Amino acid sequence: MADVLSVGVNLEAFAQAISAIQALRSSVSRVFDCLKDGMRNKETLEGREKAFIAHFQDNLHSVNRDLNELERLSNLVGKPSENHPLHNSGLLSLDPVQDKTPLYSQLLQAYKWSNKLQYHAGLASGLLNQQSLKRSANQMGVSAKRRPKAQPTTLVLPPQYVDDVISRIDRMFPEMSIHLSRPNGTSAMLLVTLGKVLKVIVVMRSLFIDRTIVKGYTENVYTEDGKLDIWSKSNYQVFQKVTDHATTALLHYQLPQMPDVVVRSFMTWLRSYIKLFQAPCQRCGKFLQDGLPPTWRDFRTLEAFHDTCRQ
Amino acid sequence: MGVTCVSQMSVAEGKSVQQTVELLTQKLEMLGAEKQGTFCVDCETYHTAASTLGSQGQAGKLMYVMHNSEYPLSCFALFENGPCLIADTNFDVLMVKLKGFFQSAKASKIETRGTRYQYCDFLVKVGTVTMGPSARGISVEVEYGPCVVASDCWSLLLEFLQNFLGSHTPGAPTVFANRHDAVYSPADTMVQYMELFNKIRKQQQVPVAGIR
Repeated sequence: MADVLSVGVNLEAFAQAISAIQALRSSVSRVFDCLKDGMRNKETLEGREKAFIAHFQDNLHSVNRDLNELERLSNLVGKPSENHPLHNSGLLSLDPVQDKTPLYSQLLQAYKWSNKLQYHAGLASGLLNQQSLKRSANQMGVSAKRRPKAQPTTLVLPPQYVDDVISRIDRMFPEMSIHLSRPNGTSAMLLVTLGKVLKVIVVMRSLFIDRTIVKGYTENVYTEDGKLDIWSKSNYQVFQKVTDHATTALLHYQLPQMPDVVVRSFMTWLRSYIKLFQAPCQRCGKFLQDGLPPTWRDFRTLEAFHDTCRQ
Repeated sequence: MGVTCVSQMSVAEGKSVQQTVELLTQKLEMLGAEKQGTFCVDCETYHTAASTLGSQGQAGKLMYVMHNSEYPLSCFALFENGPCLIADTNFDVLMVKLKGFFQSAKASKIETRGTRYQYCDFLVKVGTVTMGPSARGISVEVEYGPCVVASDCWSLLLEFLQNFLGSHTPGAPTVFANRHDAVYSPADTMVQYMELFNKIRKQQQVPVAGIR
């Protein structure tokens, strides 16, 4: 703003400066004309020399005068800083002590760097979006081939879609009841009650499961103000163990292109806990080990194992 | 509140009640159970008063009023094979007011006291059953907290009891059979204690009568 104003004020000086430049050019060309013409039209050699020198001197004086005038005017014009590509920082280039403080060159270097960085980051994000974020090894290639046009941002599914997926899963398993609520904005929280065995609090982000807490059937799952208590753990060791295993299962069932499949597989796996207290370990055949029933369920076969028996 | 199994432990041969209890608690400590204070279950018997009996022409029923230190604010009133009422502890005062209908049987108070042990999610209470001044037997209560359906975890409980009691492992309590897959309640535990106390009373009556 200030620059624009000062330029407006100095427009007269600009006009004077331009005419000063024209005067300088004409006086310089007169000097060369005089030199080109050389010494002539005088009778004596001496007279010719004198006249030439005087003439030459006059011309040089006028050049000098015009130059001084131009210099004086150029100070009045001011710096047209908005013409610099780097705006005000371009003024650094006018710093006369380049060698001592090479700020401007460093600035240009940094600018180039950041440009390059932005470009490469753009390329990298493009490539990463094509790749699956799957953390477990199997089915990697299959899913990539099957759904080449999968959207990279499955995090922004409409709530209605999430409701549909959950209610379909709810209908799939009669012994499992799922209660969906949205206490904080669009993220859904599920309270899954599995028979008379356990309750699971599932915190979702869109259709991704963020966190699960497993608690006993009779344990309180609400905080004092009536909200789902997603932080406190179960009082019973067996459910703390199942919580750990459920968290492991979240990491196992990962398929970013098809989040509904992930939720369904997780719920199918969770359903196998209906026999938590009834199924003996498939390896050692016993119910108890260190006072705990078989808390592990195989991800594929859903067979019951003790935590230490599962290898 | 989980599924509970109450059973009677017979006194080991050549040992006193006290010594058998000590053996059991030692076994628990070896298993890795942690001591967590004490417990007490008591039971008092009431007769239906003679005045009410005559007018209605019914056989006298016994009512048991019980307390359990696990539920310190509650009082349990049970009929044999009948309903179980869970009330506040004020119920005791009410019973005094109801003298006309229910009369306390003399010297009928029976109780079990002992130590409470926690092993993982199991709660084990080994108690000495006393009637008046004398020790009459040993009660063993095993509670599995996480489970609420008796039939679900009976095999699991049985495995624990076998580890703990060996050849003295009891059969499934009768309340388990009646409950099917309903949620287990504290009243079921009290019914088991009532049955245990009645069993011990009957056992003791024979030798007592013999001495007299």
